[in-house]
Amino acid sequence: MKKLVSLILTITAALALAVPAMAADTIKVGVPLAMTGAYTDTGDNYWKGIKIAIDEINASGGLLGKQLEPVRFDTQEFAPERVMQGADYLCGKMKVDSVHAGWAGWGQDVRAYGKYTAPFFADDGSQSAVDVFNQDPKKYSNIYQLTDTDINQASSMFRVLMALPYEYPNKKVAIITADDAWGTGVGETLAKNFKKEGWKVALHEEVPYGTREWGPILTRIRKAKPAIIHLEIVSAQEVITFFRQFMESPTKSILSYGYSIVPREVVQTMGTEADGIIGEVPTAMPTPIAPTPEAQAWVENFKKIWGHQPQAGSWAAYSGVKAWAAAVEAVGDAKDHAAVCKYISTKGYKGETGWWKWDESNVMRAGGDVPIGHYQVQGGELVTIFTDPPVKPYKDFKFQTPRWCK
Amino acid sequence: MGGLMAIIYGGLAIMPLFVGGVDYMMHILIMILIWAVVASCWDLIMGFAGIFSFGQVAFFVIGAYASAIVSNKFGIPPFFSIFIAGGIAAILGVLVGLPCLRLKGAYVALVTFAVHMILEPFLKGHMGRAIGTGGSRGILTIPPINIFGYAFTPDNKVAVFYLTLVLAVICSVIILMVIRSFWGTAFLALKDSEDFSASLGVSAFKYKLAVFALTSFLTGMVGGFYAHYVGMLSTRMLGIDLFVTLMIMLVIGGIGQFPGAILGAIVTVTLNEMLSPLGPYRPLILGGLVVVLVLLLPDGVIGLLRRIFGGKRKTREAEA
Amino acid sequence: MLIEYADVFISGLTNGSVYALMAVGLTLVYGVSKAFNFAYGSFYSLGGYLAWVLLAGIGIWGGYISVFIIALPLLMAFGYVTEKLIVAPLRSRSDWEIKVMMITLGLALFMDNFYQVAFGSRMKSLPPIVDGVWDLGDIVISYQDIVILVLSVSGILAFRWILNNTRIGMAVRAVAQNPEGARIVGIPKDRVFAATFAISTVMVGAGGVLLAQKYFVSPTGGWDILVKSWVITAFGGMGSIQGGLYAAFILGMLEAFVGYWFGMTWVLFALFAVLLATLAVRPQGLMGKWG
Repeated sequence: MKKLVSLILTITAALALAVPAMAADTIKVGVPLAMTGAYTDTGDNYWKGIKIAIDEINASGGLLGKQLEPVRFDTQEFAPERVMQGADYLCGKMKVDSVHAGWAGWGQDVRAYGKYTAPFFADDGSQSAVDVFNQDPKKYSNIYQLTDTDINQASSMFRVLMALPYEYPNKKVAIITADDAWGTGVGETLAKNFKKEGWKVALHEEVPYGTREWGPILTRIRKAKPAIIHLEIVSAQEVITFFRQFMESPTKSILSYGYSIVPREVVQTMGTEADGIIGEVPTAMPTPIAPTPEAQAWVENFKKIWGHQPQAGSWAAYSGVKAWAAAVEAVGDAKDHAAVCKYISTKGYKGETGWWKWDESNVMRAGGDVPIGHYQVQGGELVTIFTDPPVKPYKDFKFQTPRWCK
Repeated sequence: MGGLMAIIYGGLAIMPLFVGGVDYMMHILIMILIWAVVASCWDLIMGFAGIFSFGQVAFFVIGAYASAIVSNKFGIPPFFSIFIAGGIAAILGVLVGLPCLRLKGAYVALVTFAVHMILEPFLKGHMGRAIGTGGSRGILTIPPINIFGYAFTPDNKVAVFYLTLVLAVICSVIILMVIRSFWGTAFLALKDSEDFSASLGVSAFKYKLAVFALTSFLTGMVGGFYAHYVGMLSTRMLGIDLFVTLMIMLVIGGIGQFPGAILGAIVTVTLNEMLSPLGPYRPLILGGLVVVLVLLLPDGVIGLLRRIFGGKRKTREAEA
Repeated sequence: MLIEYADVFISGLTNGSVYALMAVGLTLVYGVSKAFNFAYGSFYSLGGYLAWVLLAGIGIWGGYISVFIIALPLLMAFGYVTEKLIVAPLRSRSDWEIKVMMITLGLALFMDNFYQVAFGSRMKSLPPIVDGVWDLGDIVISYQDIVILVLSVSGILAFRWILNNTRIGMAVRAVAQNPEGARIVGIPKDRVFAATFAISTVMVGAGGVLLAQKYFVSPTGGWDILVKSWVITAFGGMGSIQGGLYAAFILGMLEAFVGYWFGMTWVLFALFAVLLATLAVRPQGLMGKWG
């Protein structure tokens, strides 16, 4: 029995000592991202941007003379208690002075990190996260969103679809989305907008992730012959299989992929085969030519470091770190979270393309110097054809009528 | 069994003395207690009753959603709604159990796992939204448990911890009593030879259905407790991650080796946290560990403890 | 109207042929040794990754024919060794059925995350075996689907032939029907168990090679395969290859028509509803036997 008690006590002690040693005199930066599970890809995109920002700051002598030290946390698949644990770990235990996430829990994150004071940057793109914020803006004043909401992004997609220099043969649309919060949110907003303009929503389906046989849906599409098909499933396998099976016998429909154009494999796998598909990226760095020389330099630098084009989210996450660092420089104290937050909210941040300004809900609304980018795949590359709001053609890049619509 | 359980819970009970001020550690301890109950229930149904139920996570989530919806919609205090949630889970458990008891081995696993599989589209879909699950956005506002005006919110983690401890101890004692009772003996007999026990008048059907009801009730109740503690819910608990983690707890603790599941929960959660910075190497190591442990440690940590301390009960069969 | 139904029917046929190929290995192992392999989906991915390494990584000469020639023996060896190392030692234990499920679940976790560490979390694509479509006017069928259908049905037929006409096949059937009797007449039971496991690995791995060019390969892509195969084998009757074949096509059709009439979200509900209804009437599945 005595041995047993001592063993239990040893386990207990081991548990208590599971506290890593703290490095001295650095500024800790929390990075909760999905490192395992279904969201690993997006987590990777954000991390690449954050890493560049931290390395840049450290290489230039650090922040207020101190080096930044990233503290990573694996949010896995965003189970509620996992999100909460991330906040308790990073803010409560590691005492980080800022947190840079990407997709972070669509509202759950606001609750979890709102308990603490360190500035928190997320890329939720979700109205439910903003709704939580608005319940108690004071308490959640350290929460910043790097992108506009699903509702505004979907409205932007709709405006661009209506602005395309293309004569629609009819006023019918098919909307297919994933059954997650993002997909349903975009689908509902799009459907509402189309109906208001007098369009008929011929088909509106929510499909589970993992759908790779599109026969039944394509049969209905081929019967309805809609002028627009909008697909919103942020996962490469689903959208590539859809496209290939659609192309076996295409209808004259503009294929609008929304944010699903983002997974790198879509363009990488299909190359010029994907020419004609259009899509959207919020908080975007327009390609192939960035809007300013600084922005172009940033893109080149990213390509040099990681060996590929920046993905959606990389630049947003990078800018979050830089915006926070700029505020800390101005305030002169990383520990004074309230002052840092106040500075970010009131002054904003000047990035590669121009000014970032957060609104009263701490959301980085699309527009101004950081608009939503709308793309078309041309020559196997994502080419920005419009920015919004307001809907504006981007430089000299033109929409091309897809080959199956001719 | 009881002695070891007392030592484990006693050890956990003094933990706040060391880490009471660190929210992160308290949160881990609370989750250990919650998973300990879920894993123990799973052990009861699978390890002792020999039913391959793979629906424990589903009942946990059902309980969590039920309690959140009941308290949000009808204003029932969470203290009571978690019992209602347990009741709902128990009813569903019996409904799932009824067809299962005619089936064998991998079929039972499939049917119970089907509940798990279907739950996510159900909670996200139109039917789920109609009853108030919030669809794929989840439920973001759930009131905390409130006893005599004292709210057990995530901000008072030490208080929540002791409340969880009370709940876990009660659940564990119930499970222990079941194992020690005539039921436990009946299950052992059924597992060894169903035909022979039936001829002795042990009704497999009645006991198995009762164990379905009991484990679903306890699991659902703990799920409800979880919902009110965390204060938000989403379907993301239904990923494969939690399912596998719970199974690892059983493997580490030892199947049918109560209170091994509790030890399994402690070891697994701790290990998971310690390996977490390794990213994808964490599940890689856990997976490898399961393979090695099943081969080398058939009775889990409990078996190991017995081998070290020797003497006391060679095997469970000997005891029975 | 008729055209549309024909179209949906063809989707159902495509689904069915894919499912048949996937499920037959699982049902075989369960039928012979009562072992349920949770790592089955990871074995499927293994086939896909092998093909990817050979084609995209090494750039092997001879395309898919060389891939099959190299990958199939590798898969067979992998299956055999896996059975010997981690399944066979459990057989003598009490609770071994649960233990096998657990150990293979651990193996699945290990393998899936090994893929992620080794190949990255992003999906891998493979060149198509054939390009183009067969245009019949109103109905269009891709050659890819035709190849999958032909190869999977002929694969299963070849497999049945082996079971019915070769020494090893007869040994497998003998062990499945009466393990004790088989032992008495001198059939090495352990070798048969390992051999069936190896054959099942080959079947699902070959499916992985064949389907990777249509559905791609990703670290966690096997779970879907595992669940679908599980439903099909239970529906057809675990251990019955013919039952599995029927079940695959019935469920493939069900999926296509439910998707067409009610929408894709209802497919899973429909699958499980039909499964439950079937099991309520026939607990052993369509063509399964107890024992």
